[in-house]
Amino acid sequence: MTALPNRPITILVAALGGEGGGVLADWLVDAATAEGYPVQSTSIPGVAQRTGATTYYLEIYPVRTALLDGRRPVFALTPNPGNIDLMVASELIEAGRAMQNGFVSPDRTTLVASTHRIYAIAEKTAMADGRYDGAKVVKAAQELARRAILFDFARLAQQSGTVINAVLFGAMSGSGVLPFPRAACEAAIRRSGKAVESSLRGFAAGYACAVGELVPLDEPAVTRPRAERPVDAVRRTFPPQTHAILEEAVARLTDYQDEAYARTFLTRLEPILALDRQHGRGDFTLTGETGRHLALWMSYEDVIRVADLKTRASRFDRIRSEVSAKPDEPVTVVEFLKPGLDEACAVLPPWLARRLLAWARARGLESRFNIGMHVKTSTVTGFLLLRMLAALRPWRRRTWRFLEEQTRIERWLAAIRRHAARDIDAAIEVAHCARLIKGYGDTHRRGVRNFTRIFETLVEPSAVALTEPLAAAIRRARDGALADPEGETLDRVLAQLVQASVPADAPARGGAMQVAGE
Amino acid sequence: MERSFKKEVQKLRLGAGEIFHGEGILAVTKALLQSGVSYIGGYQGAPVSHLVDVLADAREILDELGVHFQPAANEAGAAAMLGASINYPLRGAVTWKSTVGTNVASDALSNLASAGVRGGALIVIGEDYGEGASIIQERSHAFAMKSQIWLLDPRPNLPTIVDMVEKGFALSEASNTPVMLELRIRACHVHGSFVCKDNKAPAISRKQVLEKPDFDYGRICLPPATYAQEKHKVEVRWPAAVEFIRRHRLNEVFAGRHDDVGIILQGGMYNTVVRALQQLGLADVFGESAVPLYVLNVTYPLIPEEIVAFCAGKRAVLVVEEGQPNFIEQAINAMLRKTDVQTTVVGKDVLPMAGEYTGEVVLTGVVKFIEGAVPRGVDLAAIGAAYERLTRPKRRAAECLGVPVPARPPGFCVGCPERPVFSAMKIVEREVGGFHVSADIGCHTFSTLPPFNIGNTVLGYGLGLASSTGVEPAFGKRVVSIMGDGGFWHNGLSTGVANAVFAKNDSVLIVMKNGYTSATGTQNIPSSGRNVHNEKVDMSIENALKGVGVRWLRTVRTYSVGTMVKTLREAFTTKEPGLKVIVADGECQLERQRRIRPQIAKQLAAGERVVRTRFGVDDDVCTGDHSCIRLSGCPSLTVKPNPDPLRTDPVAHVNQGCVGCGLCGEVAHAAVLCPSFFRAEIVQNPTRFDRWLDRLRRRVIAALSRRAGPRTAAA
Repeated sequence: MTALPNRPITILVAALGGEGGGVLADWLVDAATAEGYPVQSTSIPGVAQRTGATTYYLEIYPVRTALLDGRRPVFALTPNPGNIDLMVASELIEAGRAMQNGFVSPDRTTLVASTHRIYAIAEKTAMADGRYDGAKVVKAAQELARRAILFDFARLAQQSGTVINAVLFGAMSGSGVLPFPRAACEAAIRRSGKAVESSLRGFAAGYACAVGELVPLDEPAVTRPRAERPVDAVRRTFPPQTHAILEEAVARLTDYQDEAYARTFLTRLEPILALDRQHGRGDFTLTGETGRHLALWMSYEDVIRVADLKTRASRFDRIRSEVSAKPDEPVTVVEFLKPGLDEACAVLPPWLARRLLAWARARGLESRFNIGMHVKTSTVTGFLLLRMLAALRPWRRRTWRFLEEQTRIERWLAAIRRHAARDIDAAIEVAHCARLIKGYGDTHRRGVRNFTRIFETLVEPSAVALTEPLAAAIRRARDGALADPEGETLDRVLAQLVQASVPADAPARGGAMQVAGE
Repeated sequence: MERSFKKEVQKLRLGAGEIFHGEGILAVTKALLQSGVSYIGGYQGAPVSHLVDVLADAREILDELGVHFQPAANEAGAAAMLGASINYPLRGAVTWKSTVGTNVASDALSNLASAGVRGGALIVIGEDYGEGASIIQERSHAFAMKSQIWLLDPRPNLPTIVDMVEKGFALSEASNTPVMLELRIRACHVHGSFVCKDNKAPAISRKQVLEKPDFDYGRICLPPATYAQEKHKVEVRWPAAVEFIRRHRLNEVFAGRHDDVGIILQGGMYNTVVRALQQLGLADVFGESAVPLYVLNVTYPLIPEEIVAFCAGKRAVLVVEEGQPNFIEQAINAMLRKTDVQTTVVGKDVLPMAGEYTGEVVLTGVVKFIEGAVPRGVDLAAIGAAYERLTRPKRRAAECLGVPVPARPPGFCVGCPERPVFSAMKIVEREVGGFHVSADIGCHTFSTLPPFNIGNTVLGYGLGLASSTGVEPAFGKRVVSIMGDGGFWHNGLSTGVANAVFAKNDSVLIVMKNGYTSATGTQNIPSSGRNVHNEKVDMSIENALKGVGVRWLRTVRTYSVGTMVKTLREAFTTKEPGLKVIVADGECQLERQRRIRPQIAKQLAAGERVVRTRFGVDDDVCTGDHSCIRLSGCPSLTVKPNPDPLRTDPVAHVNQGCVGCGLCGEVAHAAVLCPSFFRAEIVQNPTRFDRWLDRLRRRVIAALSRRAGPRTAAA
C-alpha cells in the first residue's frame, strides 16, 4: 500500500450564483465516477446562490476503486489552507478571495481564474470610482500559485456562445491536474445531455487556452478615439505633454458650442500654463488637469446638450449593437426624461430664471414641477422634439445656467492661480475639486454644495492653520465629499481639519503648518 | 419549484445491491423508504429543502409503497404530524432547517417527547451553521437535552448516514423516544455513493389501515400522566437507549499507536479531524490514524462506560465539539471526575468556543493539542514545520493584496420583484425622513444589506408585523413592517395580521407577494394557486386579509415604483385608523424566467412576433455618480470604464443579464435621477408593417439629421 499516493487531488471552485458551478461539479463527479476513481463533492449553495459568492469543493483519489481492495479514502468536506491542487475562480476578485483564504500555495496549487471583473456592490455604489485594483490580484497570483492560468474566460464563453463553467472545465482539463483525460470530461458533458454542443465548444476553447494553443484577445479598449485633428492654437502655445487632452478638449467645446467657445477655453488656460512653467515640476500636470476639468465643466450637461447627444446618428448604431439586435429587427428607443424647474431655468434668460427660482424657493416648490416624459427618439415626432431642444444651442450663451457656470468657473480658476504661485500641489488639488460638480438635479446640487464648502473652508481663506499640508487636506476633504451622498464624511473631515486650525493671526501651534495669505 | 427532481426520483427506486450516486439529503430520503416509513412531512429550508422537493416529484413511488407525504404549513405542523407514532406502531419522519425550525417546532416536540412513541419517529434536521448559513448561529443539541430526544450526528459519508437513519428508527422504537438526525450543510450537499436495499412498504398505511383508535391516558400530556412520563423518560427510556447504542456500537473507536492521547469527536467532525491528522502526517489517506479516535455518531445521550474506557490510561484527550455551550466536554469532565479518571480534557481551550470548525480551525486546534500534550514518539518539530508550511501562503497573500478584496454578499436576483419596493422606500425616506422597519425572513431580508440597508430588526419567520407592535407607540410616525407571502402563510396571518387588527395597531404592513417561498427554492404555498401535488387551489392573500378584517388594503404591482411611492405616502398620512396593508405584487423572477424562456423560444422558432426589452445607459450622458445603483443594486446594473478620454470615473452600464424588468426607468423617473437611461424594444420576427414603418422612420430621421448639420454626423 506504500505505493499509493498519500493524499487525494483537491479541487476548489469559487463561483458566483448562476454561473453553473453546480453543473461543473456534477461534470467532474460524473467523469471521475465513469473513470472508476473515488470522488466526493460538496458545496454551500444556500442563499449564496442568490448572486453571492459560493464555492464547490471536490476530492478525487487518483487510484481506481477497483485497485483499492475495498479500502475507501476519507475525503474532507471543507477545503484546508495549503491543501488545494486545483483552484478555480470564475472571476478575478474571487481568485483574490481564494488567495486571501490561503487556498493558493506555491508548492502545489494550479490556479485557473478568469480575469474579467464582476464588480461587487461596494465597488458599484461608490460616488466616484470604487473599483478594486485587479492588477494586485494578478500580481499576487503569479507569485502565490505554482502555475497561474489567467484569461478572460467570460469573454471566451460569450464568443463560444456558452456559459463560463464549460470554458473553465476545459481549462481545468488542459491544466493537466485532473487524473483523467480530456475525452473523459467531454463524455461527461455529453452524458449531461443539456446544451451539449455549445458546452463542448466552450470546453475546447478553455482547453486550448490552458495548453497554450490559444491566447484570447483582451477586451478591446473602450475609450472612444480622440479627435485626431491637430489644433495649431494648442500646438503653438502648449507643451507636448498636454496636447492629447487639450486637442480633445478643443474638439469637444467646438462641438458643444462653437470655435469661439473653444478659444475662450485656451485663453482661460494660458495664465495657468504660465504659472505652471514658473512653479511647476516641468510635467505640466497642473495645465493638463486644469484643462481636462475645465473642458468638462465648460461642456456641462443641460437639456440642449442631452437632446443633442441623444439624437446623434452614431448613437442608434451603438444602441443596436449594445442590445445585440439583428439587422432586420426594428428597435424602438424610449428615453426617460423628467425635466424640472432647474432644467427649464437652465435655458431661460437670467432675469426670468432668477425670479422663477426665487418664487419657487420661497414656497419650497423647487422639485415640484418635474414632468415625467417617455420620449421615443426612434420615432419622427420624438426625434424632432429633441432636435428642437438641441437647436437652442446658439441661445445657450444668454441663459441663466451658462452665466452661473461661468461665474463658478472663474472663481475656481482664480483659486488655482492664487495657489499655483506658492504651492503647486495645492493648486493641482484645487483643480481636481472640479470633479465634485457633475450630474443632474439633486446630484448636481449636492456637488455644488460640497464644492462650495471645501472652497470656503480650505481653499479661499487667506490663511488656514492645518495639521497637514494644504494639498493633502483638500484631497482628504474631496475624498470625504465622495464617500457618502449625505455629506456626513465631509462634515467629519472638515471638522477635524478646522478643529486643528488656529486663528489666522495667532502663531502656528506645534506641528501646525502655517499657510501664509497673499 | 426551483429545481426538478425527475432524475433523482428514479434513484429512489434502486433495489438491493444497486449503487446510489447522489447528494446526502437524497440518500437520507432513500433510507427513509428502505426503513418502511409510513408518513413523511416537513417544512422546506436550506439545507434540507431537497428532501421535501424530491418527494414532491416522487408521488408515484410513494403511492406504490403506500407512503403518505404531506409538507406542513410550518415546522410546528411538521412536528405535530409525528403524533401519529405516539399511539400506533407507525414509522414517521419529518424534516426542517435547524435551529430556527426546531424553535418553531419545539411546542409539539416537547409534547411528543413527553408522551413517548410506539412507532419510530425520526426528525431530520439540517444544521444551518457556519459558512453558507442564513440564520442565527445556535446548536440544536440543547433541544435534545431539554426534551430527552436522542441526537444522531453521523460521520458525513453516505453509507454511515444511511445506516444511522435505519438504526435511528430502531433506537426510537427500542427506547420509545423520538430521535433527531443532525446533518450539517456540507453533509446535506455531499455527493457520494452507497449500496442500496429494497424499499420497504410500511406495515400500516392507506393500504393496510388501522382497525380501531387506541386510547391510553398515559400518553396524554396532562397531569398526572405528565409526571409519570417524566419519570419514565429517565428511568426507562434513557437506560434503554444507552443499552441499544452500546449493544449496536453506534459510536466507533479507532485505535492508534500514540495511545497516551486521544480525540473524542462528534461524528460530523470526523472527516475534518482526519484531514487535519493527514496534513500533519498522523493519519493516512484511508483514515488509519496514529492518534486513537472515539467517534460519537450519537452525541446525546453519551455512554459513560465507553467514554471512561476510552480515556482510561490516557494523559490527555481532545474534545472536538462544534458550537457552544460545550455540553459534551462538560459532561465528559463530570464523568471522569465521578469515576476518578485523571485524564486531562482539552477542548474549547485550544479550539474556538464559537463558530464553524472548518479545516483550518480544526488543524490549528489539533496542532495546539499535540504541542501541549506531547504524545510519546511524535516529532513536534515536524508538526510545527508542517503547520508553518500550510499556513504561510495565507499570510503572504494578505501582504500581496494589502487591502482585503471587497465582500460579495448575497442580494436580490436580476429583475427581482422585491427590489423595487425598497427603491420606493428609499425615495419615500428622502421625503418623510427615516422610519422604523421591522423586517422578516425571506429573500426580502436582503434589503438589510447594501445598497438599501432597510430593516431595523429581524425577529423570525412571519414575525415582521408582530415584532413592530412593541416599538410602534414609541414613534411619532407610523412604523413599517415587512412580511413575505411565505412568512404570511407560515404564521404571519394569525401571529401578525389577525392580532394587529384585533389590537387596532396603527401601522403599515407590506406583504411581498412573489408567489412562492423563493428563498428556500420556490416551493408552492397556498397563494401559489397550486399545491405540492400540482393540484389547483383557490386561496388568496387578499381574501385572507379581508377575512380577518383588514380595511385599508392596496395591491400594487411592485415594478410601478411611482405608484408604490404614492401608496406608501398615503399609508403614512391617511387618517384611516388601524392596520394599513400594501400587497406588493410581483412574481419571483427566477420562476418567471424559468416559465417564459421556453415559451419565448418556442414562439421565436414558430416565427411569431416577439418584443424583447432591454435597458441601457448612454455612457456620454452618464456622469458616473451611480445614484441609480444606490437605488437598485441589480446585478445587471453595473459599471464600466468611462469611454470618455477626458473622464476617469466609471459610468453606469446595463449588462447582457438584463431581463428588462423596467426598474431602471421607473427609478430614474421616481427619483428624478438623470436622463441617461433608455429602454430598447427589439422586435423579433418583425411583421411586414414593422419593417416598413422602421424603414420609413429611419429614412426621415436620417434626412433630418443631415439637415441638422455636421454635428449629428460628426459624433
